[in-house]
Amino acid sequence: MKNFFKSIGNYFKEFATALAKGDIGVKLSLFVMGAGYFARKQIINGLIMIALEAVFIIACVFYAAPNLAKFGTLGTVQFEQIFDPLTMTKTVNDYDNSFLILLNSIIALFIIVAFILVYIGNIKAVYRLQQRKEAGKHINTFVEDMKAMLNEKFHITLLTLPCIGIILMNVIPILVLIAVAFTNYDQQHMPPNALFTWVGWRNFTQLFTTSTTVTFGYSFGKILVWTLEWALLATFTTFIGGILMAQLINSKRTKLPKMWRTLFMVAIAVPQFVTLMLVRNFFADTGIVNTICSNIGLTSFLKSIGLVGSHLTYIPFLTSPGWAKVMIVLINIWVGIPYQMLIATGVLMNIPVDQLESARIDGANKFQIFCKITMPYILFITGPSLITDFVKNINNFNVIYLLTQDVYVTTDQLLANSNAKEVDLLVTWLFRLTNEYYNYKMASVIGIIVFVICAAFTLLTFTQMIKGNREEDFQ
Amino acid sequence: MKKTIDLVVRHLFLTFLVVIWLIPILWLLVTSFSGYKGINTAHFFPQTWSLANYKALFFEPDSVVQYVAWFKNTLVIAIFTCIISTVFVLMVSYAMSCLRFKGRKELMSFGIILNMFPGVLSMIAVYFVMKSLGLTNSHLGMIIVYSAASGLGYLITKGFMDTISVSLREAAWLEGASEATIFLKIIIPLSKPMVVYTVINAFLVPWGDFVLAKLMLNSGISNDWTIAIGLYNMLNKSLINKYFSIFCAGGVIVSIPISILFVLMQKFYVEGVTGGSVKG
Repeated sequence: MKNFFKSIGNYFKEFATALAKGDIGVKLSLFVMGAGYFARKQIINGLIMIALEAVFIIACVFYAAPNLAKFGTLGTVQFEQIFDPLTMTKTVNDYDNSFLILLNSIIALFIIVAFILVYIGNIKAVYRLQQRKEAGKHINTFVEDMKAMLNEKFHITLLTLPCIGIILMNVIPILVLIAVAFTNYDQQHMPPNALFTWVGWRNFTQLFTTSTTVTFGYSFGKILVWTLEWALLATFTTFIGGILMAQLINSKRTKLPKMWRTLFMVAIAVPQFVTLMLVRNFFADTGIVNTICSNIGLTSFLKSIGLVGSHLTYIPFLTSPGWAKVMIVLINIWVGIPYQMLIATGVLMNIPVDQLESARIDGANKFQIFCKITMPYILFITGPSLITDFVKNINNFNVIYLLTQDVYVTTDQLLANSNAKEVDLLVTWLFRLTNEYYNYKMASVIGIIVFVICAAFTLLTFTQMIKGNREEDFQ
Repeated sequence: MKKTIDLVVRHLFLTFLVVIWLIPILWLLVTSFSGYKGINTAHFFPQTWSLANYKALFFEPDSVVQYVAWFKNTLVIAIFTCIISTVFVLMVSYAMSCLRFKGRKELMSFGIILNMFPGVLSMIAVYFVMKSLGLTNSHLGMIIVYSAASGLGYLITKGFMDTISVSLREAAWLEGASEATIFLKIIIPLSKPMVVYTVINAFLVPWGDFVLAKLMLNSGISNDWTIAIGLYNMLNKSLINKYFSIFCAGGVIVSIPISILFVLMQKFYVEGVTGGSVKG
């Protein structure tokens, strides 16, 4: 933390010295960004900077300013439509669209921050050029600058495009939805026909209240517990299963490993939405499995030991809470193990053979080798992915949604009041809240909570991994 | 003797697992060849066999089934997404694994934090962003949505690159290779298994995704859909009894490109590439 503030301090200190000690070219750069480059005869760099500045000013005047002006209220002019009987046309007034104001304001803020960073960086860069000139060092031509992009500055070349993509499709949407959590954006306040506005922390308190009208608190508790149970079960069953299966297939004593692997891969060659929809019908209340089970007497046996309710004539694989949860985990094992097996196979191939050899010579048995060498090595490489798998499972939308949507109906009135089901994960709950009930505000709050949970679970482990500098252990 | 028992048990167990894994797939396959349109809940194997479902899929497009158009849409989107995502992932992985620059750890932590946000949540905002750009219901929009943020999925590939011996890169440095050359000529060839993994994943995301597609391609014109939405739509409560077998046929066809991909690329998983590069 201390280092963080120190580096920010340094950042501005460098900026100040650049300004204080810079010559006329550097100081002129405050106003015309290319000036410093022109002073060192870097014409192309200078022109690029001037163009950038011009674009920014235009964007500020015509885009950022009008939107940011309304950011505090998210718009005040209600949508109105006037029908003109003479011309038979509808005229729409110049209304405010709260969502677009929110979105555009956030994009505008991004552009402004980015520009300020470029602006400060520019002054510093120009000052560095001045220093080089005074020291009599070589000043790069444009071509040489470009070449550096493939060498010492290669990371800039590599990371620019991916970062822009991430900002546009990930960071900005996330910021928009964090903002929505503090508004009353729902079915009654849908742009363009209605405005929505800021409401502070009201949605958050609602999520934790359980009263006769609001049951979000009750549903949230139930769904949170199931989400965590699910994520833990799903991650570990597939992870361990995948490694064991890879070991089994790759073992020297297994004949035709390639054929076995291919057979399992057939199962994942069929896309998830097909297999899951198929399996859902496979295990439907009137489906084929139920027919077979009742033919061989399994249904009546389960009834007699009380696992199936006495009023049912079928096994409620996906329609009663207990059965559905077990089935979901089992089906997920079926879906997930071949993937994990593939990853584990790739990793197992790269285990340092000499380590295995020497362990064997030292008289370690197979179990010891597996626990002391194979597992640590696998964990080292797939450790980060194990955590992301856990997070992915907390957010595992496909399995839950495709298996239970339209099939599972909750009988718990308290859950139904807040549009939830027993088998819902937090994410499927929030998806249905938005997609079916247009309750964007509550969905955003749940999204933030999911984020906090994932963050709490993973940050600890991750900082350990990054901090410990174990990256170079196996290099 | 003990060895033979071990051998038999091992292979019996594998066979048992394969049977479990393949039963639903077998059901998919046999149902796609049934002469019956809806779900047959009484028998595992259909009583009458026919190719009618495949014929309906390809030659008898109606308001529900536009399979050829879906296939084309999905393929175009998947191929472009695959190329862009793979390039992005490899670029980010190399930068994070092999290069050392200011702000690297901060960027990595930031990426991890972003990854924790539920994708489903930001999807809705993504939809609004794309809508204000006029890119919903278009292939370009889908490609952007699928591939733009793919750089975040670099962790596994980075983990792999971390295990590639640093002495290889140092040797190349001494020979005067630039970072770009090291990346393209040394690291990528050595990371082949992971490149394959990335390619397959990058292809599978758009090929198998339906949530985003459902959100983005909402015009209701079945010509614009991808296979996922089309097939999902067939299992609507009102349609399932007429289209279930056709759904199965569609499911079989959609799996063929992926199967080919897997078979072609399987050997890369099997080869241990770094094993022999630098000894010691």
